Amino acid sequence: MPALPNYSLYEGVVRITRVYLGPAAGRFIDRQVENHLHKAPAELTPADLMVLIDWLKISVSHLTEDSEIVEEYVSELHKLADEQAKPKRGKGKS
Amino acid sequence: MASTRQTSQLTTQALRRAAGLAAVYVFLIFLLPANHAVMHAHHLSAVDYRTLLLALNLPTMVAWLAAFVGYAKLRQYVQLVRKTPEGLYFDKLATGLVWLAWSLPIPAIIALLLDSLANTWGSFYPAAVIIGNYTRLIFPLVAFSIIGVASRDLVSLAKIKLDFVSSRIIAVLFLGAGVLYCLLTFQHFNPASLTSTRNPYYLPIWLMVLTIIIPYLYTWFVGLLAAYEITLFSRQTHGVLYRQALRMLVLGLVVIIASSIALQYVRGVQPRVDHTTFDYHMVLSSIFHLIGGGGFVLLAIGAERLKKIEEV
Repeated sequence: MPALPNYSLYEGVVRITRVYLGPAAGRFIDRQVENHLHKAPAELTPADLMVLIDWLKISVSHLTEDSEIVEEYVSELHKLADEQAKPKRGKGKS
Repeated sequence: MASTRQTSQLTTQALRRAAGLAAVYVFLIFLLPANHAVMHAHHLSAVDYRTLLLALNLPTMVAWLAAFVGYAKLRQYVQLVRKTPEGLYFDKLATGLVWLAWSLPIPAIIALLLDSLANTWGSFYPAAVIIGNYTRLIFPLVAFSIIGVASRDLVSLAKIKLDFVSSRIIAVLFLGAGVLYCLLTFQHFNPASLTSTRNPYYLPIWLMVLTIIIPYLYTWFVGLLAAYEITLFSRQTHGVLYRQALRMLVLGLVVIIASSIALQYVRGVQPRVDHTTFDYHMVLSSIFHLIGGGGFVLLAIGAERLKKIEEV
């Protein structure tokens, strides 16, 4: 069964991206999801997150040569991915 | 959203236009009759005169190319963000810059033609001076009015309030430059008569004040304020990478505005004559043209980076 759409996940990714791309963040994420995951941004699920992070790292690397900024961005996204994974584990144990 | 191919066509189109205008300018330099008074004064042959005129105007023509590429790059970015909240205001900003870019070649070509006509028919000289002065004024007046509206809207969109100290600094800077401009201009007039046209501008002083001096002062004030407002907007915008690109664009814009004001200032203070003068005004004019061209290059780099963010 496919994972359910997760709007807060999409908003979380955009919120992190906004720190780097400002008002262009929403449009940037929408493009990445549509072009690389071939789905609507609203359909983003935790299962897509790791693949999306890989694509985001590649895309942001095209925008800056500052590897620190890229690593910081990816690290923030991984934290979000961990947060998304935690409640699932909790549910699985109970 | 516009395709990459469509947007890149804008740069090619702008480059073609700038090259075309430069070709017209070079063609006119070699086609129109050389000024005998200047040739005699500097001991030049007709070929020397034309070659010197071309060499001295080369930096200006390079600045035209930079200006046209700069506005085209901003237009490309605007096409990608037109439907966003800030896109509308960037669109206005780009329109203002189009006027500013065209304010470089058009008055220069018109001045060349007017000078030639005045050289051939002496009675046309006053009309040439008056038309030349108004042509130089109209383009920056329209450009800065549009840029001023765009910068105001951007500041309103970001809900930014103007800083008290900075706005006072702008006011003092404007007042100082404005008073000095009036002082330097009025020294060419006969203070005993307000209606006499026996001055280098061929206009009565009241008409000069109403239709040249006040519009210029308005243009400079709007320009300075716009430069400040756009800088404020770029400082308040979120996003490390977005802000870096925006700052480059804004730095270019500020340099363009400052150089344009300086260019208008130098030309306004020195009354127009019916021939090209090979003096420090021409050197200053070339320097400010090059600085302005540099500003357009910065603007183009900033716009290109912003465009990349919207394309990746």
